[in-house]
Amino acid sequence: MEITFILNRQKVRVDVPADITLLSLLRDYLHMTGTKVGCEVGECGACSVLLDGKLVDSCLVLAPQVEGREVITIEGVCAEDGSPSDLQKNFISAGAVQCGYCIPGMVMAGEALLRKTLKPTRSEIREALTGNLCRCTGYQQIVDAIEMTAKQRSQTQSGRDKNV
Amino acid sequence: MSDLQYKYIGKPADRVDALEKVTGAAKYVGDYYLPDMLYARALRSELPHARIKHLDTRPALNVPGVIAVITSEDFIDHGRFGFPVKDHFALAFEKVRYVGQAIAAVAAETPEAALNGVKAIICELEPLPGVFDMDHALDPDAPQVGFEREDHKHPNFLDMSPVYKGDPDEVLKDCPVVLHEEYRTVHQEHSYLETEGALAIPTSDGGVTVYCNNQSPFITKGNLVAVLGLDPIKVRVIQPHVGGSFGGKDDLNYLTACQVAALALKAKRPVRMTFSREESMIASYKRDAMHMRITLGADKDGTLRACKAIHTLDSGAYSSQSPFTAWRASIHAMGAYRYDAVKVEVTSVYTNNGFSGAFRGFGNTEACFGIESAIDELAEKLGMDPIDFRLKNCLRVGDVTPHGQKLTESVGLVECLETVRKLSDWDRKRAEYARQTSQDTRCGIGVAVLFHGTSLGAEGVDCATNTIEILPDYSVACASGLTDYGQGPRTVYTLITAEELGISPERVRILLADTDTAIDSGPTVASRSTILAGNAMRVAAQTLARTLNFAAADMLKCEPQRVMRIGEAYVGPNEEPVSWEKVVDHARSMGLVLSAHGKWSAPEIHWDHHKGTGTPYFGYHFAAQVAEVQVDLRIGKTQVLNIWAAHDTGKVIFPQGALGQVYGGITQGLGYALMEEAIYADGYLQSVNFDTYLIPTSMDVPDMTARFVETNFSPGPYGAKNIAEPAMVPTAPAIVNAIYHATGKRIRVLPADLERVALGKSLHKRGSPVSCKVGLKVK
Ligand code: FES
Ligand code: FES
Repeated sequence: MEITFILNRQKVRVDVPADITLLSLLRDYLHMTGTKVGCEVGECGACSVLLDGKLVDSCLVLAPQVEGREVITIEGVCAEDGSPSDLQKNFISAGAVQCGYCIPGMVMAGEALLRKTLKPTRSEIREALTGNLCRCTGYQQIVDAIEMTAKQRSQTQSGRDKNV
Repeated sequence: MSDLQYKYIGKPADRVDALEKVTGAAKYVGDYYLPDMLYARALRSELPHARIKHLDTRPALNVPGVIAVITSEDFIDHGRFGFPVKDHFALAFEKVRYVGQAIAAVAAETPEAALNGVKAIICELEPLPGVFDMDHALDPDAPQVGFEREDHKHPNFLDMSPVYKGDPDEVLKDCPVVLHEEYRTVHQEHSYLETEGALAIPTSDGGVTVYCNNQSPFITKGNLVAVLGLDPIKVRVIQPHVGGSFGGKDDLNYLTACQVAALALKAKRPVRMTFSREESMIASYKRDAMHMRITLGADKDGTLRACKAIHTLDSGAYSSQSPFTAWRASIHAMGAYRYDAVKVEVTSVYTNNGFSGAFRGFGNTEACFGIESAIDELAEKLGMDPIDFRLKNCLRVGDVTPHGQKLTESVGLVECLETVRKLSDWDRKRAEYARQTSQDTRCGIGVAVLFHGTSLGAEGVDCATNTIEILPDYSVACASGLTDYGQGPRTVYTLITAEELGISPERVRILLADTDTAIDSGPTVASRSTILAGNAMRVAAQTLARTLNFAAADMLKCEPQRVMRIGEAYVGPNEEPVSWEKVVDHARSMGLVLSAHGKWSAPEIHWDHHKGTGTPYFGYHFAAQVAEVQVDLRIGKTQVLNIWAAHDTGKVIFPQGALGQVYGGITQGLGYALMEEAIYADGYLQSVNFDTYLIPTSMDVPDMTARFVETNFSPGPYGAKNIAEPAMVPTAPAIVNAIYHATGKRIRVLPADLERVALGKSLHKRGSPVSCKVGLKVK
């Protein structure tokens, strides 16, 4: 079936089977492989994307459900000039990346939280990450990266609109 | 050790592959989509133990979209496989020994067609009685899992690793305080976020190029050559980014690579197999389960005298690395203490409970839980503070270990203990929590220590070779056979290269592991990359640096030893400084070769497997961790409030990476302590995805505090030791000891989940084969 939606700020039209997930649409049909697959049952968050600005597990969303809606994947996360976003840079400088497999999902989860608040406590950050499993890092440096970004963005205030 | 002497070693640095990972650009094997690529799927056993009575794959070829199908007949010697014991096959031959074992494999145009092909295969299995209890695996009438043995020992016997010093039975007779207890650990699933996979591309010369998320591409290559009968020159194995491993991509995936390669050669098209999570959990090996029987004896003043540790290790259906795991467990089974007499025997046996192999800590994670629990229990019997008791008996420089090894340097255990004692405010909390009376929630604080042998030890030949080359654009390309699956060695190699060549790390590029460009350096296991390949990298870079120094001296018209560096520039006593680029150009014009190999071999050591004495490792990592917990007595729920970790890592080369290893290791240890349990019921795994196999989330883990005690380790590069494995080892016993402090209940079986903490036992649940059977057929 035909599906039209906004993907990373661009309108796309695809013709795909009606019973596939958004995750499969992104990876198997569009070959956008930044969104990862870890469990396909909504437990790991490796497949996290923003759907109309909200964090979702793309393995739990059927492709036809995105008709007319806006999807942002890791490929669509960057600063205005196309360079990595402040959050992505902070992931690097905080040492939050190991094998990297959970990281696209973690960046999406962090971004989703920062769209809601720029003053999260560490435990609020941890809560926002509960749907995203990481087996390598113990989460600590990921929490650091998100906390650092929140502080920087709330200092510049305007940062929020600039960075996604 | 002064940090001033280094520019990059021990300084803040970004991980070299972090940028491509945060943007989603990094490619993992499942991210490869080639035109014409086929999808592979394996038919896997739904029985834990059975004879293959009839196998007919022809019907699969009639399924639309199916292009090729293979069985063990498609391999030389049926694809016989395994190290150190060749007891496995690339695809099952004659028998299956565990649920999930691959029997045949299909390549098809789509994943759906591949699954339909698998379902069409006619496979008649005749069930055989199974062995599901390791303690009865060696009973005379136990069903036979392993092959007949030449030495006529029980076919289910795999190996026994001893350590002997004196006669502990004699010593125990005059110990006024004796403890005898049994401890058990369960199977643990690695839970790397990326499942297993491999992609094989047939080459025009009849060979094959394989992309595989393995730990050691040279092992994959060796197996491909052996089972496919290809000329080694025609086999190339590349390791793309790997989404975590922790020991878990160091066995089964070599079989996966053989399967996709055979399919690709048959179909003459690229073939990729990527496991579903269910398939990954069911088919992959686990951390072994261990049954430990420990006897300790001490004098009234708290001097440890004797230790007996008689352990059984469930290796499951295949040997995999279990003989080595058992050996490492035996070496560490008595803990980091002095004794008059020790007897350790760790026996590994076959069962039909999946199969077990390498997992971070490699036997020590299991053994450390046993001994560090027992040490805590003994301290209590003696009425001593757990840290005081450990300080009184722990290994120090100059001591001789129970194995007979004199420790001459780099034993930072006392300092580690004192560090965590102070950081955690131990003495105050121990006293305060001892006075709690609440029946609802209580806090506790507990400690555990560890020693962990560096690298392979007497497990194998221990050397590594790295290569280095200056490219035309003045960047420096390095290759290592020891690979990065998330732990960070590529960044370590970069920092070492930059340090030795006096150039910016941005110039350095570490190639992805590739059997065509790197040199076989043995397996990437046992936390050996930093010491082995770090040293090899250093030797290679130093060789190149010396060459460049000649060129610089020639340009600066001075003796080589008078050349100095300011930033990247070379400066002599008289002339103007010259840039790195100019020196490189000049070296080329002098005809000097701007590439080098660096080889480093570990000091020679020896272990006597029969006498159980020798020098098992050329060095040891030491650590102490303290855990603070809050336990809800009503429901048995434990929340870990704090972890303090002090690790004697030697010199830290990449601090952020080392911290990440500690945090990640502690988190895996926390899971092992409180929630992770891969239960086999009659050979069927009971949790096959993350909805039932729970690993720690961001809410289960507290903010952790880590400190490094940097004792100098002379064989290590810049004095560095290992970190990846030791980080997780002491966490579980520290947490369980803290639970005891909070509740007065001693948990001797992991994990300390709600039932064990609240009721003191696990409620018996009836197992079911359903999730495995359904899981193996998931889309
Ligand atoms: S793949 Fe979607 S939550 Fe795991
Ligand atoms: S970095 Fe490996 S799973 Fe998170």
